Amino acid sequence: MSNNTNALEIAGLRAGYDASDVLLGMSFHVGPTERVGLFGPNGHGKTTLLNTISRVIRPRAGDVRFMGEPIDQLAPQKIVARGLIHVPQANRLFPDMQIMETLELAAFTPRAREELKTNLDYVLNLFPRLAERRRQQCKTLSGGERQMLSIGAGLMCAPRMLMLDEPTLGLSPKLKDELAEAISEISSRGIPLLLVEQDIAFILSLVDRMYLVDHGEIRREINRSGELDHQEIMDMYFGSEGA
Amino acid sequence: MITSDILSAILVSGIVLGSGYALMASGLSLVWTTLGIFNFAHGVLMTLGAYIAWTVSDAAGLNFGLGLAIAVSAAIMIGAGILIERVIVRPFYDHRDILLVTVMTTLAAMIFMQKGIQLIWGARLKQLAPIATGNVQIWQTTISAQEALIIVVAPLLLGALWLFLDRSRTGRGIRAVGQNPDAARLIGIDVSRLFIITFALSAVLAGLTGVLLGSIRLLTPEFGSEPLVKALIIVIFGGLGSLGGTVVAAYLMGLLEAALVFFVGIYWAPSMIFLLLILVLLIRPQGLLGKVVR
Ligand SMILES: Nc1ncnc2c1ncn2[C@@H]1O[C@H](COP(=O)(O)OP(=O)(O)OP(=O)(O)O)[C@@H](O)[C@H]1O
Ligand SMILES: [Mg+2]
Repeated sequence: MSNNTNALEIAGLRAGYDASDVLLGMSFHVGPTERVGLFGPNGHGKTTLLNTISRVIRPRAGDVRFMGEPIDQLAPQKIVARGLIHVPQANRLFPDMQIMETLELAAFTPRAREELKTNLDYVLNLFPRLAERRRQQCKTLSGGERQMLSIGAGLMCAPRMLMLDEPTLGLSPKLKDELAEAISEISSRGIPLLLVEQDIAFILSLVDRMYLVDHGEIRREINRSGELDHQEIMDMYFGSEGA
Repeated sequence: MITSDILSAILVSGIVLGSGYALMASGLSLVWTTLGIFNFAHGVLMTLGAYIAWTVSDAAGLNFGLGLAIAVSAAIMIGAGILIERVIVRPFYDHRDILLVTVMTTLAAMIFMQKGIQLIWGARLKQLAPIATGNVQIWQTTISAQEALIIVVAPLLLGALWLFLDRSRTGRGIRAVGQNPDAARLIGIDVSRLFIITFALSAVLAGLTGVLLGSIRLLTPEFGSEPLVKALIIVIFGGLGSLGGTVVAAYLMGLLEAALVFFVGIYWAPSMIFLLLILVLLIRPQGLLGKVVR
């Protein structure tokens, strides 16, 4: 695998639920060490997209390549074993399990098990709050703590790429900053990132490039070399919602 | 007036009963907490396990001794558990009403297997040789050594099950799958593989219960029917989704039954048990140790 192979390449991806089509042919890519954002109005298919990539739901058509290899026919656990890790939206994790138990369990694949010690140290350093509460059950965690554990569990899977679905949903500005710092620390290790967010300030501070998702399609690509400011993006966002 | 020998008799027979219930119900509970379905074929798996052990060990069968009988029975139970999961449960994982559909399919499997057992082994009563022979005195009550063995073996097996679920990677995985299958998938757990393991484990527990009880009761094709009903009640009573609750409820049920048999007689005891359970569920709808249902 050469150094310039894209981490993720999506082409013509279609998916949906029962009779409804949600993804109407999506194409985009994430570069080798790139941080890419996805944003767009509620219900336009961002979560469905991540679920399809991680094969929680089956694609109806199209290709998904991870590090150059097709993965759209693989079972979810095989995708995790290859290192493409999806941290889902509003993850409740395992209500009756304790924090430490959850983190240890998340190193489930053989490759992740080998890195268990290193990754555990890293996660507990990144989120000291989890270290303070090792024996607390998931169901009693606050929203912020749960989000940290959810990302922490993703890191325990030994990611070669991370997909985060709205990691700051419902969190206070202070916690958002904390998470933004943690996410930027993670991606500074060279782990490519696909970040779904509604909070534009948050996403702008973390990504190199972004895509606007609109009615199950990629409506626009936005290169972040400063040519777009906040307001323009907001206009696009709300403009497209009315369309 | 309750004298100490009466109390002793009630306690000892209650614990013997409870031990059998705990073994039976824990398998049923394991499948419920992991897959969210009730396996109505669980009772007939117990029957099958006992009949297989009988065939391997009895002088009228292959006459190989109980050790091998237990091993063969357990091995076949693994296969039976896997078969049930594959053939009548797996096709419905994506079904909206999986709980109801599998009530139907596992009930069908139960009837099918009962008839099959009757066809293979006939309706004549059979009995397994006891693993332990002789009598044992506990406090002021004398019971057969086999009953004493059940009292000892049940907590050992349940303890092993608990250790497996609490400590081993696979066991923790099984708990994770029960609590949140999608999140389990996303950390790399092969959910359908753990479903199979869960079913196999549960079937082995049923089979072992059959082997243990098969020498203190008589084997008929309906051998597992009453234990199945009791186990269902215990799982619900103990609190759906809590293996610990199931085990506590099993022993309580055994003690309650023993006490009721003494005080109201064998005729009314079963109905009184139901009455009491309904009263408890009125006060604690989530069951004894239960959490609000999945
Ligand atoms: N399990 C499901 N079954 C049926 N329809 C679903 C399911 N999950 C999502 N949908 C529908 O698919 C569409 C896209 O939903 P999706 O969750 O992908 O949107 P989203 O962009 O992630 O929204 P949000 O920003 O609110 O998280 C919506 O119309 C939603 O109702
Ligand atoms: Mg979403």
